[in-house]
Amino acid sequence: MLERTGIPTKAEIESITPSDERRRKGPVAVIECFQKIPCNPCYTSCKFGAIREFKDINERPVLDFDKCTGCGICVVNCPGLAIFIIDETYSDTEALVKIPYEFVPLPYEGIFVTALNREGKPICRAKVVKVQNAKFQDKTPVVSLAVPKEYSMEVRFFNIDDYFSDSTYICRCEELTLGELRELIRMGYRTLDEIKRISRAGMGPCQGRTCRQLIMQELAKATGQKMEEMPMTTFRPPVKAIKLGALTGGVDNE
Amino acid sequence: MKTVEIAVIGGGPAGLSAAINAASLGAKVAIIERDDQLGGQLRKQTHMFFGSKEQYASTRGIDIAVILQEELKKYRNNVEIYTDATVLGIYEDGVLTIEQGGKYMKLKPERIIVATGASEKFLAFPNNDLPGIYGAGAVQTLMNIYGVKPGNNVLMVGAGNIGLIVSYQLMQAGVNVKAIIDAAPKIGGYLVHASKVRRMGIPILTSHSVKYAHGKDSLEKVTIWQLDDQWKPIVGTEQDIEADVMCISVGLSPLAELLWQIGCKMVFVPELGGHVPLRNENMETSIKGIYIAGDVAGIEEASSAMVEGRLAGLCAAKSLGYDTENFEKLRHEYLAQLNSLRSGPVGEKIIKGLSKVTA
Repeated sequence: MLERTGIPTKAEIESITPSDERRRKGPVAVIECFQKIPCNPCYTSCKFGAIREFKDINERPVLDFDKCTGCGICVVNCPGLAIFIIDETYSDTEALVKIPYEFVPLPYEGIFVTALNREGKPICRAKVVKVQNAKFQDKTPVVSLAVPKEYSMEVRFFNIDDYFSDSTYICRCEELTLGELRELIRMGYRTLDEIKRISRAGMGPCQGRTCRQLIMQELAKATGQKMEEMPMTTFRPPVKAIKLGALTGGVDNE
Repeated sequence: MKTVEIAVIGGGPAGLSAAINAASLGAKVAIIERDDQLGGQLRKQTHMFFGSKEQYASTRGIDIAVILQEELKKYRNNVEIYTDATVLGIYEDGVLTIEQGGKYMKLKPERIIVATGASEKFLAFPNNDLPGIYGAGAVQTLMNIYGVKPGNNVLMVGAGNIGLIVSYQLMQAGVNVKAIIDAAPKIGGYLVHASKVRRMGIPILTSHSVKYAHGKDSLEKVTIWQLDDQWKPIVGTEQDIEADVMCISVGLSPLAELLWQIGCKMVFVPELGGHVPLRNENMETSIKGIYIAGDVAGIEEASSAMVEGRLAGLCAAKSLGYDTENFEKLRHEYLAQLNSLRSGPVGEKIIKGLSKVTA
């Protein structure tokens, strides 16, 4: 119950969720403000008249989803940081969730973070697509996360605990980072071989001596597979990079 | 002895607003502020304020402190500012005694606006004297004024607005908040603040209180337990939380010593945080010429404190003969703003409290 835990109930969330039809049309604000408090900047900041006029400053905001363009001005003006923008037209499989984020360091665009739900529980990996921090936002940066579409109404915060590990190299030869590896796993690549073929990890000069174990560890962590049961990649000669000349100048002219 | 027309005691949001309005009408005003800078608690409030445009909604408290001081500068010819200056007493002849920078002085004002704010309530539990146990205000001062990290792992006691906001600020400062507990069965602060810290993973445990603080030289661990619906601890529900900081934010009490000294009629009103003075609609106490504004008049949000300050400043100046043709219009506007801020469910308690002290 919201009043006891700070977590809105399913019914409360449903009451403010834009229709599937509206969500298919483009970005839209989701206002998670469930208590009558004396506060109206969402209404006064909206340039499209999408939030119904407050007759009393204690009213809860009522959003006209059809007038809302998802511009996000209300996101940075809400003192309760209770407004998010979701955009389910971002891609076929992913939605953007725009989250007000008043912390340092800000994530870099392009890294992967752990997306959290309203309880602060990790629910998926998410890519930081954009970080907006313009002057008019007055120190409330907005971070756009790309998340699987089904989580657009779940993801409301994120952790950048593995901020550094995301940029850590797993395959130094072919330059695959941990963040990229996690993204591949999230996209559904679940074996060493699949990851090798899509990313070239393991196909460089060291032939997988650096990355093989690390990829297996990450696969095990992310998918629950046991390392001893994982299918290995196919090993073919040569076991190290050699010059073509070495092949042509063989001892017995073979 | 120095004289002045209006002495404003306290340079926080209420005092600054009072001084601005009184000085704008032409009254000679002295602001006496205990700290070395004006702004009061606004100086620590890094979050955006609620309310409406009139009370600077969506603007951060620290920026409101600057906005109010800029406005005050417009009337600098009418304003004297005493910082590092504490009013020690008000005497029956209306003389204020002040300590400033180790020196003692007297000031005789014709009107006094008391805007002294509030102090933090404390909790009784074993070992509550261990270093590491702070009031929330102290933690905010350390972090947001001096840039000092209070510790690494915090247990926040109190889920009112201050507890929730300071928890958020601690997380912003890179300090881990292990949990927020509150003895009440419901979160007292705004639920948007609660949801904001909850989605960062901080558990909010309502119906929980502190049983025991542990530590040798400083706080190491806190035992908390659950309360039943009669607020009685339930034996067997104890759990230990490792923390080097306990931050106590269980409410505020109006800082009303000066009003007691001068003999204002005081009433104990739990809804307003403790003993508060009787007052009329214009914020004048039972003693003519002594006005109040802000938390000393009853614990509320800073938005109301600023409007009360504007109202008290306007009325105090008017009583000295400084008038404006807009007087009634302004007065009604401030009263309407206060009514509107208090009109919702969270204002019900305030309205109930005020009904006991407003003549």
